[in-house]
Amino acid sequence: MSTVGTMKDRVAEPMKIMRRGRAALKTSLAVSALAFLASCARDAPQDTWQPAGPNAEQIDNLQRPVFYVAGVVGVIVFVAIGWAIWRYRDRGQAIPEQTHGKPVVEIVLTVIPALILLGVAIPTAGTIFKLAKTSDTEMTINVTGQQWWWEYDYPAVGSNEEQYGITAPIVTSGQLVIPENTKVLLRVTSRDVIHSYWIPKLNGKKDSVPGRVHLLRLEGAKPGIYAGQCTEFCGLSHSYMRMEAVVLSRADYDAWVANQLEAYTSPAAGTLAAEGEGVFIQQCSRCHQVNGLLNADGTPIISAPDQYIVSGVAPNLTNLMTRNTFAGASWDLLTPECREDVWKSDSVTFGAKYLKGVTTDCLNQKDLREWLRNAPLKKPMYANPENLAATGGKYRGMPALGLTEDQINSIVAYLLERK
Amino acid sequence: MAESAIAHDHGVSHGAHASSTGLSNNKMGMWMFLGSECLLFGGLISTYMLYRGRVSSGPQPNNIFDIPFTSVSSFILLMSSLTMVLAVSSAQRKDDRNTNLWLTITALLGATFVGGQVYEFTAFYREGLGFTTSLFGSSFYALTGFHGVHVSVGIIMLMALVGMNRNNRIPGDKAEVVELIGLYWHFVDIIWIIIFTLVYLIPS
Amino acid sequence: MTIIERPSTEVAIAGAVPVGVKPSEALGVFKRPAASSSWRDWVVTVDHKKLGIMYGVAAFVFFLIGGVEALLIRLQLIAPDGKVLNADQYNQMFTMHATTMVFLFVMPMAAAFANYFVPLQIGARDVAFPRINAFGFWCFLFGGLFLNSSWFLGGGADGGWFMYAPNSSTLFSPSHGVDFWTLGLQITGIASLTGAINLIVTILNMRAPGMKMMRMPIFTWMVLVTQFLLLFAIPVITVALFLLTFQRSFDATFFDVASGADPLLWQHLFWIFGHPEVYILILPSFGIISEVIPVFSKKPLFGYPVVAMSGAAIGFVGWGVWAHHMFASGLGPVSVTVFSMSTMAIAVPTGVKIVNWIMTMWGGKLTFAVPMLFAIGLVTQFTIGGLSGVTHAVAPSDTQQTDTYYIVAHFHYVLFGGAVFGLFAGFYYWWPKMFGRQLSESIGKWNFWLMVIGMNMTFGPMHILGLQGQPRRMFVWTEARAGEGLFNFGFWNRISSIGSFILSIGILLFIINIFYTHKMKKGALASNDPWDARTLEWMTDSPPKEHNFDVIPQINHLDEFFHRKYEQDSATHSVTQVHSADEVMAELNAHPDEHIHMPSRSYWPILLALSLPVIGYGLIYNRMLMAVGVAMVLLTMFGWAMEPATSPDEDFDPPESGDTHAKELVPHG
Repeated sequence: MSTVGTMKDRVAEPMKIMRRGRAALKTSLAVSALAFLASCARDAPQDTWQPAGPNAEQIDNLQRPVFYVAGVVGVIVFVAIGWAIWRYRDRGQAIPEQTHGKPVVEIVLTVIPALILLGVAIPTAGTIFKLAKTSDTEMTINVTGQQWWWEYDYPAVGSNEEQYGITAPIVTSGQLVIPENTKVLLRVTSRDVIHSYWIPKLNGKKDSVPGRVHLLRLEGAKPGIYAGQCTEFCGLSHSYMRMEAVVLSRADYDAWVANQLEAYTSPAAGTLAAEGEGVFIQQCSRCHQVNGLLNADGTPIISAPDQYIVSGVAPNLTNLMTRNTFAGASWDLLTPECREDVWKSDSVTFGAKYLKGVTTDCLNQKDLREWLRNAPLKKPMYANPENLAATGGKYRGMPALGLTEDQINSIVAYLLERK
Repeated sequence: MAESAIAHDHGVSHGAHASSTGLSNNKMGMWMFLGSECLLFGGLISTYMLYRGRVSSGPQPNNIFDIPFTSVSSFILLMSSLTMVLAVSSAQRKDDRNTNLWLTITALLGATFVGGQVYEFTAFYREGLGFTTSLFGSSFYALTGFHGVHVSVGIIMLMALVGMNRNNRIPGDKAEVVELIGLYWHFVDIIWIIIFTLVYLIPS
Repeated sequence: MTIIERPSTEVAIAGAVPVGVKPSEALGVFKRPAASSSWRDWVVTVDHKKLGIMYGVAAFVFFLIGGVEALLIRLQLIAPDGKVLNADQYNQMFTMHATTMVFLFVMPMAAAFANYFVPLQIGARDVAFPRINAFGFWCFLFGGLFLNSSWFLGGGADGGWFMYAPNSSTLFSPSHGVDFWTLGLQITGIASLTGAINLIVTILNMRAPGMKMMRMPIFTWMVLVTQFLLLFAIPVITVALFLLTFQRSFDATFFDVASGADPLLWQHLFWIFGHPEVYILILPSFGIISEVIPVFSKKPLFGYPVVAMSGAAIGFVGWGVWAHHMFASGLGPVSVTVFSMSTMAIAVPTGVKIVNWIMTMWGGKLTFAVPMLFAIGLVTQFTIGGLSGVTHAVAPSDTQQTDTYYIVAHFHYVLFGGAVFGLFAGFYYWWPKMFGRQLSESIGKWNFWLMVIGMNMTFGPMHILGLQGQPRRMFVWTEARAGEGLFNFGFWNRISSIGSFILSIGILLFIINIFYTHKMKKGALASNDPWDARTLEWMTDSPPKEHNFDVIPQINHLDEFFHRKYEQDSATHSVTQVHSADEVMAELNAHPDEHIHMPSRSYWPILLALSLPVIGYGLIYNRMLMAVGVAMVLLTMFGWAMEPATSPDEDFDPPESGDTHAKELVPHG
């Protein structure tokens, strides 16, 4: 049967525990380090602990120690609680002294966490400002969110034009293509509601807010494809608003730019694809722009999606098959095998595989055809023509076009040549 | 809300004699309520300050405000605070006749202010500033409208007070009831001084 | 024999009543309702204890509704490309789950305890404004029902509980869900605001003689801080909701980007309310366990003034951290840094509380009854949530974590592991006082352990899911982004969903425990002081009489009741019991007060509250109905103001008729 200790003992005891805690500190450090290493061990496309570029790395360097410190503090608290529960359980001891606290203990145990937090605060402030730096930007890309996909617009100005040969604006969607080790500045905005642009392996997220332009720096350290996802709830199909950032070596990137800027070539007459061009002009081109597509009278066809869609745009399909996902990067244009080959390739061979685009053999016919048959069935959208009162008759997303199987065959053939 | 403060005077008979702070429950409740109201107007004023320069269509603040007119109506509202003070002091002297008189005058001055606001809103509307015209319009009408509603509620309370006083039906401590309404009234006046300064006097 | 005395005409309404008019008829034509023992008494009651019980029952029902919503969410996410709900239903589900749990469960449940126990803890017979108290409860109930009626009228709100503009405008959310949401929250907001004023005045003004601020029980302290937070936070959300209603119903332009509006305005208004709201949710639970831990440690709360002041500090600094919800919203680096620092600063007073709870247990004589288990559960689970909170106070890492499941994990550890565990500690701790029977300890232990295991299984894996990059608010997750090996989405989502059902069984056991205790009469009848507790609420009957105390005690100490039972030798510090609880009460009640005035029942609170949803439905469906609602408000306010001061004569003891047969007060329940 234990008696209640003297005042001194009881002040000393937590200190003793803390000393013991320090021994536990090393163990727990090792354990948590191991846990985090394990978490990094396998392929997780959106892992926030596997930085693949300097911005994400800065965040990682900051957060790792914070997690370790938090883990250690947690262990200390749990040990203290466990000890108190075990040591002071009711074993028939006398009712303890009715003490209301010890100022020294209070102050010490307030100052310690305050100091720990101060230790966290200083590097945090430094990193915030480092991540906000934009003065050394090497390439600028406008990124615009809308329900439920991302548009990328590479303006033909400044270093984009001078250094990277972007002599005419490149407009693409879903997959952002950037050169490796280049400080790319994204100018992020939105055409309807708030979205958020996030490629976890390259940087933290930044909201795309209509009426505002936010700056986000991305830089990829080595070629590869990096998955991301819209992370601000943006309505019905928020889950199907995905994206990828593709990092290419400088040479591959130049090839990509050259290909994007190549003039349009019509399908050879008499082919299925040529038939598809007609169907596309008739059914798709009112919303989807394909640069270089001409009317019968030789004037360029300019799509007018603002007449049909709330956000006012639809993805530009000029080079659809150079990308390997579609519809908000939610479905693959590649078959699973071909996808595996591209996504899992090492950084040396990746560029060449990506630049091949989608070949006939590799085309994921199933998802693309389902999409063409009835898009809203595949991806929830406000696209029921009878239910557009709130939007004044405009769609949010792509409606079902009622295409025949023949039309779909021809459109698929036509789209296959868009690269 | 404020009506219930009057109504709640029945509570006085239960708890007033045991107040820990010396302040009566009703008065402390009213102070708390007014503290809360500060944040309500704080939110509305912030919204207005953010949006007052954002005019995509319709008139700009500068070419619509009639400062002399609003100054006069602001002065009238300010004077009503003075008459309210007189009403409170009459009530404390248990001078029913003068209490009623000053309360009525306060209510009339308040009504004049609200009348002025109605006139002003109509004039602005005619000049093309509707509630939905622009961000300036929406936030201007929301802010001044909320204030106008507060003044109107105050007028109703004042008139109810006069009516109840005449029939000798004010429950509890009569002087305190008048003082409570007075607190509310002064608060609404002070808010107007802030609104008048920020909305009308400081150019956007 | 205590007598509930008829207020004398002279004292109650001096001079106001013409000779010959009884006080019960003094003002209006409407009599106040008489006491009865039927359900009608609950409808017209102004008794803070009955209102507290009704708050609790209603909040618990909403808790079950919110729980079913949560289970549907977890069922949908148990496997990739879930088919249980479609996108629209899922969006409504997570919006209403959060709204229900925050506004219709945790807040009113804390209000239930505050209503019931604050007057008892400070030695008062009721709250400062009993009718406004009743009005507040009915506003909460009708607001909550109004909000949930949207399920049957075209679907719930679908914009998330944060309801960011412009996704909340009619263009992007055309159903009436958001209208029900704004108006419903506006109505429950009235409940919170009136409740805040009422409790603040009660605490500041109606303490028993000798109960200085620093002698108040810590639960009362935390309630006081919470009510001040509500007092200033509610008007901010009120403004935001008004702006949204004006936008949706009257075509105002506040969030119309085409007119130049800034969508961040909504975020600032929402989070200026929303962050204090977080402390509004957690502080009452902190208060509860700060009562429970000392009682079951047989020691006073370690550092009582520090705990009280750190609560106040949290309440104060809590106003300066709102933008940490917006680190990815595009604020400048300076604001981000400032809010990052202030967020870290608020961790200090929070940490102080944890230290003080542990130090209270340190050197104590601990017994592990169910309330104590839940209290320790709070300390441990909240610690996890608090530490993960520190990791996203670090703004750069927050840009990786925000809007992922890591955040979902974090706030469920602080809100479920924190707030809800605290409320459950309160259920088990105060149940015998409220209902006169002890809940079963053995069922209670199962209840506790299933909840601990269930919540850690449900929310623990979410840390991993979030750090692996699974965003929140997605109605499906895809195998393509799931990763491989131990840390893939599939495995941990499955664990989490299974955990949610274990958690539900734990909560179900609480309901079973209530039936076991009351319906099956298996629970032991509770003594007045079953836990050997320290504060005033235990110094009266279980359940307490309508007037709480026969005698209002004189307070000389913090933990007054304990000091009446025990004495500490000043030299040896040994503590000995000198009186039993019953002896203390017998001594106190030897000379009962003979002049007790209790507030009379009233019809008007429920009628006034009932008019508000009428205005709501009117605004949504028919402007004429709205006019009816406004007319109802005016009429009921008139009735309220004109109501006579007291109940009819037959409600008093003894009846004026001179009937010598003394009338007992209506018993509870």
